[in-house]
Amino acid sequence: MACEAERRPLGVFECQLCALSAPYSYVGQKPPDTRSVVLLEESYVLKDPFTADRNKFLVLGSRCSVCSRLVCVGPECSLFYSKRFCLPCVRENIDAFPREIQRDVEKRKMPAKMPCSKPRSPT
Amino acid sequence: MPPPRTREGRGHRDHHRTFREEEEPERWDWNLPETRRLFEDAYFRDDDYIRQGSEECQKFWSFFERLQRFQNLKTDRKEEKDPEAPKHSIPALADLPRTYDPRYRINLSVLSPDMRRSRERGQRLPPKSVSEFRWALLHYLDFGQKQAFGRLAKLQRERAALPIAQYGKRILQTLEGHQVVVVAGDTGCGKSTQVPQYLLAAGFSHVACTQPRRIACISLAKRVGFESLSQYGSKVGYQIRFESTRSSATKIVFLTVGLLLRQIQREPDLPQYQVLIVDEVHERHLHNDFLLGVLRRLLPRRPDLKVVLMSATINITLFSSYFGGAPVVQVPGRLFPITVVYQPPPEVEPTTAKSEKLDPQPFLRVLETIDHKYPPEERGDLLVFLSGMAEISTVLEAAQTYATHTQRWVVLPLHSTLSVADQDKVFDMAPPGVRKCILSTNIAETSVTIDGIRFVVDSGKVKEMSYDPQAKLQRLQEFWISQASAEQRKGRAGRTGPGVCFRLYAESDYDAFAPYPIPEIRRVALDALVLQMKSMNVGDPRTFPFIEPPPTASLETAILYLRDQGALDSTEALTPIGSLLAQLPVDVVIGKMLILGSMFRLAEPVLTMAAALSVQSPFTRSAQSNPEYAAARRPLESDQGDPFTLFNVFNTWVQVKSERSRNSRKWCRRRGIEEHRLYEMANLRRQFKDLLEDHGLLAGAQTRRPGDSYSRLRQRRERQALYQLKRQHEEGGGRRRKVLRLQEEQEGGSSEEDGASASRAASDGGVDIQDVKFKLRHNLEQLQAAASSAEDLTRDQMVLLKLVLGRGVYPQLAIPDPFNSGRKDSDQIFHTQTKQGTVLHPTSVFASSPEVLHPQDPESRAGDRSREDKDKMSSKHQLLTFVSLLETNKPYLVNCVRVPALQSLLLFSRSLDTNGDCSRLVADGWLELQLADTENAVRLLAAALRLRAHWEQALDQQLARCTRPRLEDDDEEAPTVDRKVVAALSRDLLQFTASKVPYSLRRLTGLEVQNLYVGPQTITSAPSLPNLFGSSTLSPHPTKGGYTVTDFLTYNCLTSDTDLYSDCLRTFWTCPHCGLHMPFTPLERIAHENTCPDAPQGSPPGAEEAAEPLKKTSALQRPYHCETCGKAFLFTPTEVLKHQKQHV
Ligand SMILES: [Zn+2]
Ligand SMILES: [Zn+2]
Repeated sequence: MACEAERRPLGVFECQLCALSAPYSYVGQKPPDTRSVVLLEESYVLKDPFTADRNKFLVLGSRCSVCSRLVCVGPECSLFYSKRFCLPCVRENIDAFPREIQRDVEKRKMPAKMPCSKPRSPT
Repeated sequence: MPPPRTREGRGHRDHHRTFREEEEPERWDWNLPETRRLFEDAYFRDDDYIRQGSEECQKFWSFFERLQRFQNLKTDRKEEKDPEAPKHSIPALADLPRTYDPRYRINLSVLSPDMRRSRERGQRLPPKSVSEFRWALLHYLDFGQKQAFGRLAKLQRERAALPIAQYGKRILQTLEGHQVVVVAGDTGCGKSTQVPQYLLAAGFSHVACTQPRRIACISLAKRVGFESLSQYGSKVGYQIRFESTRSSATKIVFLTVGLLLRQIQREPDLPQYQVLIVDEVHERHLHNDFLLGVLRRLLPRRPDLKVVLMSATINITLFSSYFGGAPVVQVPGRLFPITVVYQPPPEVEPTTAKSEKLDPQPFLRVLETIDHKYPPEERGDLLVFLSGMAEISTVLEAAQTYATHTQRWVVLPLHSTLSVADQDKVFDMAPPGVRKCILSTNIAETSVTIDGIRFVVDSGKVKEMSYDPQAKLQRLQEFWISQASAEQRKGRAGRTGPGVCFRLYAESDYDAFAPYPIPEIRRVALDALVLQMKSMNVGDPRTFPFIEPPPTASLETAILYLRDQGALDSTEALTPIGSLLAQLPVDVVIGKMLILGSMFRLAEPVLTMAAALSVQSPFTRSAQSNPEYAAARRPLESDQGDPFTLFNVFNTWVQVKSERSRNSRKWCRRRGIEEHRLYEMANLRRQFKDLLEDHGLLAGAQTRRPGDSYSRLRQRRERQALYQLKRQHEEGGGRRRKVLRLQEEQEGGSSEEDGASASRAASDGGVDIQDVKFKLRHNLEQLQAAASSAEDLTRDQMVLLKLVLGRGVYPQLAIPDPFNSGRKDSDQIFHTQTKQGTVLHPTSVFASSPEVLHPQDPESRAGDRSREDKDKMSSKHQLLTFVSLLETNKPYLVNCVRVPALQSLLLFSRSLDTNGDCSRLVADGWLELQLADTENAVRLLAAALRLRAHWEQALDQQLARCTRPRLEDDDEEAPTVDRKVVAALSRDLLQFTASKVPYSLRRLTGLEVQNLYVGPQTITSAPSLPNLFGSSTLSPHPTKGGYTVTDFLTYNCLTSDTDLYSDCLRTFWTCPHCGLHMPFTPLERIAHENTCPDAPQGSPPGAEEAAEPLKKTSALQRPYHCETCGKAFLFTPTEVLKHQKQHV
């Protein structure tokens, strides 16, 4: 069992846009126990909680390369196009992005303003 | 030319035409396994993200195929070149790739093999294919990330949306300022899953959370582990009887209340915990109520201990004020509107209303209503609350017929006696267009939460044990539920959306319901509780500050019962046997068997029987009706009694397991046996064995390990292999929700268990995980040795076993009705002291062959059938001992053994009364024995007295050993009572039991019982019989009259015509040993025989060496200097203990 004593969480990641929070166990581009995959951005990483496989990781988010906000990888908060951009920054500088990205962003919802600590109203 | 290989042993498969086609990429065939293997060899190695041959690897290839198809459909990408824009002023945006490529959208990269390993490998593969492959791989990984993140986000969203989420901070803050906080929240507010996580997040690391039920411990630990995203870490664990996932890394443990109490028993200050969450306090379980009292006393001693009481919003002030006005954090539930439909069944004729079976029609009507009113596309399952298992199977049967017909329902039972795997099924999903219909006991009211329930049917009934302290009888009775329960049940329909609750009773019924359920402490027998209280030194149970005190009568009955059973002494202090019993998590009766059995060196068989009697019957319901099962089971049956049948079943099962291990499941299925129960028996047996070993009642098993290093190594290897199987099984994602099959419904009742688990096992690659766990937990060789030695149990051992059982369960005896031999098999009735007209449980071996209970002496059988059995003079009268009396629709005797009546009564009765010549005996004031021959009577009585004394002494010695603190260098000592003493006692008991003396046996009538004794006599001249039955001088009995011989035997106190003078009635008698010829009363005669110098030691029926250990009593006594009172004594070890108790 001792070997399974999981990598201790380093802290709690919290998205500054949607307030999603989750413990992370690694920050960087080379997740532990994973030799063949590298990340192209400095990421907050958690061991994938949905599989028993120990070398599977899950990227939670990273900093926006424009405003440095810590954002999650959720489609309502950020996108990756060679770098991480939070959606507010993308919208602000939409012209700097190729047309495919522009089209894609139009389709996305605006991020929930105040995070989900508010209960969803039952629908 | 074969490609160079980086690894040995890949074999010949590598030479293939793919290599000849390398130069023609357009003919490159991705579907060829060889092609794929080439890439797998390069990219899916053991330390890669995806491993060759794994499930994931297969998933990748199917993803790959889909991607290829998709890209073939797409015409060549038109590269939209954006017009050259001016360089952006923000540096991060200035160097964005101007030409769009989806590759730029993926935030990870896969290292190519040549970047890590030998260069040759990469060069062998055509670059175009490599890039195709890598693109697919990236895409696949990115897809996986998105999927997992989506799940995480959904999970976190749901957690944050729980009503309790807004109260987390407040709960923590309140806990800072107070030692006890009550969190009151309705079903669905999320308290059970979230509060533990808030505590963890706040930095608490030694958290215990108690649950009333085992199943809740497991499911909560899983859920909380999952939600706290360390599902496979060991932060969250559970601990229940036999199973623990706790480790040093565990920060929060879910455990049963009973287990926590045992921990307190060991360490009263509970130093291992920082925070204690007591969940479901509103359910008012016996142990929960007791725990609250214990905590209230503990809190001042542990000011750093925090306690969170969690309750539904029922009667909150009761808990708050019990803890001195503890603050309450009240969380509103989140319920969608629920429509209540009252649907009382139409009035029925009183005759049919009385009938035992529940009418499933009203339930089916609801199914029909749902089918008519709600389109199948609108999902939403049905939860039906029924009172008990019998009702569940009745409705199950009817509903399955309906379901087969409509193909719109999957019907599933849910109750606490199902295996965990079967309980888990209710969480699986029904296929589209089909609804789940879950038939549940009140377990689904609060402890098991199933999502997706839209409809609830409430029968309004619950079956609960109720206790009649006078009759000492547990009754499983059906009650109307309380309003609080009705609301809970209703609420289950509104957790995921608006719902409907069908109440199968009238609104006026509801109004008449009690507001709250009756706390368990007011309903059940309190023996176990009192025993536990005594062993925890909480003082007099009568003055314990319960949150609501139990009825005085139940408390007194329990105390009396424990005194009767020898667990408490006359000062109500725990006896040695009592303190041992308190540690055995079983019924007092079964605990006694274990202790007695270990004394007679019958530990192995008794362990098995005690375990068998402590779990539910392994015989499935369907087996009773299936003649094939019954036939297959017949060789296992023992006409000695049910415990012996269970004993045979278990032993044979162990043999099957060790011989053809994989077949034990099939073996069980063919006999209508639930294997799960046998696993439970094995676990319990192991626990009992450990306990006996811990207490020095059984020699440890160290010596039995195989000696040579080879077999040790082999064993270790086997275990390692088993561990690996177990790990694989656990990692193999058994937790994913499955889609239920429609056919599942056909498999029916509880026997479906086997079929379902078999198919499950098949999907696990043929691994029977239960079997694996069993072999890891138990030493099969040892078990098998015990099982095969059981086959050669001698007749004598069998008789002794019956005595052990008989003494253990005494006074639970029943006498066959005198007219039984003229009745049909199914009409046999039996009477206990307090209950007339009980019947045999249908699973009992005697239910099918009651004739073995009829007294049929060869000499008396000729033609006199008309005579009642009670008048029959026979040496073969028998009584039934039973382990429990269960009252459902009839009072059933459960787990019976037949025992010889006269001998058992003489050996076990708490009170034996005689007439003047001892030919008439009354046992425990209700059974009368009339012996034909006075001489025999006197001899047997004298022998019984002696045997009882010896047995007591041996037991005392045994207990003295086990309560003595064990020293380290103690292990080589003989673990139990002197072998010789036990051997002599065994022999004497056997002879005694074998004695053939004709007698008649009957139950006294009420009137006779009232006028049984002569009463105190005015003229009493003690008979001068100083040496009769030992050396005690006889004193007149204060109430019965006659003379007190021992604490159980009263001589000549029975009323009858002649008895008054019988102590003066002398007849001439010649002593067979010394030839003395004199007029003697029977008693004088025994007295003479006891002291006759020429008589061989212990002349009465078989007790040659019996006198021997008697003298040894003094040998047991040792000088003892008490340090507390400073006095010197001559004490036996038990007397030392008793003496020490006085000072406590
Ligand atoms: Zn976000
Ligand atoms: Zn930004």
